[in-house]
Amino acid sequence: MINIDYRDKRPIYEQLIESIEDMTIRGILEPDSQLMPVRQLALELSINPNTIQRAYAELERKGIIYSVKGRGNFISGDIEKLRAERKRSVFNELHILCEKAAAAGIEKDELLSQCKKFFEEERGGKE
Amino acid sequence: MINAKNITKYFDDIHAIDNVTVTIKEGSVFGLIGSNGAGKSTFLSMLSGIIKPDSGEISIDGKEVFENTNVKERFFYISDDQYFFPNTTPKALKEYYGNVYKSFNTKRFDLLMKGFNLDENRKINTFSKGMKKQVSVICAVSSMTDYIFCDETFDGLDPVVRQAVKSIFAGDVADRGLTPVIASHNLRELEDICDHIGLLHRGGILLSKDLDDMKLGIHKIQCVFGTPKSKEDFNDIEILSFEKKGSLNTITARGQKDELMSRIQRENPVFYELLPLSLEEIFISETEVCGYDIKKLIL
Repeated sequence: MINIDYRDKRPIYEQLIESIEDMTIRGILEPDSQLMPVRQLALELSINPNTIQRAYAELERKGIIYSVKGRGNFISGDIEKLRAERKRSVFNELHILCEKAAAAGIEKDELLSQCKKFFEEERGGKE
Repeated sequence: MINAKNITKYFDDIHAIDNVTVTIKEGSVFGLIGSNGAGKSTFLSMLSGIIKPDSGEISIDGKEVFENTNVKERFFYISDDQYFFPNTTPKALKEYYGNVYKSFNTKRFDLLMKGFNLDENRKINTFSKGMKKQVSVICAVSSMTDYIFCDETFDGLDPVVRQAVKSIFAGDVADRGLTPVIASHNLRELEDICDHIGLLHRGGILLSKDLDDMKLGIHKIQCVFGTPKSKEDFNDIEILSFEKKGSLNTITARGQKDELMSRIQRENPVFYELLPLSLEEIFISETEVCGYDIKKLIL
């Protein structure tokens, strides 16, 4: 479920946060569903429970999860904020990508038609 | 909590430990790293009260360790060169440690022996090096002590066992606030389990920090600027190193990701990329600042 890449140079707790955010946005983790207890996740991933505690605390601060005393941590229902944040970061990446494309001499129309193609093929296939 | 204050140790004219001060909080996993001969094992021996520091103090929860059995009952030390009684078996060890440690958990010992597929009636001297290490680890976690000191314990273990031992440690940290202190020269080995790192070098402690803070507080930036820039243009941020290869600049700087990114953006770079550092790279940068020739440290 949650994957940690040991070759990834980012801190493990950052990877955990991103992984849980990602699953929330994709709807794999449904609102009000329970997260794995710290201890269990630590055993499963063979990592330090303090690291997981820290990741959960950060997620709670961001409002992505909420904790119920004595019962554990749950995904919060409000994922709109998370979506908005994710949108911003995707647009940032797009900005860099467009700069790259422009530097490589790709024309605006060509780029746009590729985008269009993606949405037509990928989305069309799903709907 | 373990408190070491200004400890110094000489072996004849060798200065093994030089004025080391460090605090290890309970419930954290402390990684002690350093090159061969940096003083890791000496430090652990002093922590376990086997040898006495020439000067300075080591205390566990405020009590001096040396010659103090009450304190010694609270930790288990897995030495690098393990000693077992002649002709002993794991079963005999179980009885021995059961007498030494009041809270020794026989059930857990049996369960782990079975789990690791070790025969408790076989003589330990017929075991391989890795199997001996496994027996030591099982004894250590079955003793249910508050602290476990591991001297290069993970080195002889195969990957499967290593993961298993890490999981056991993780469980005990979560359940009962175990504090493992793990000495190793293998940085990668420590990256996933430790949350606090102390770097020993030539007998002195260079830094002792939270691992995540360490990683988030230092970044490498690769960038190309329209007009050539030099280190002096970035006086407002703390630059650890500034290298130039053609038009490509590689900057290692202290600071959070966002602030560094906006700082670089202000210079209108043609291209830039922010990269996190691995533990190894952090140590190269941190110690270069201290004036140490660290390249030898990284294996």
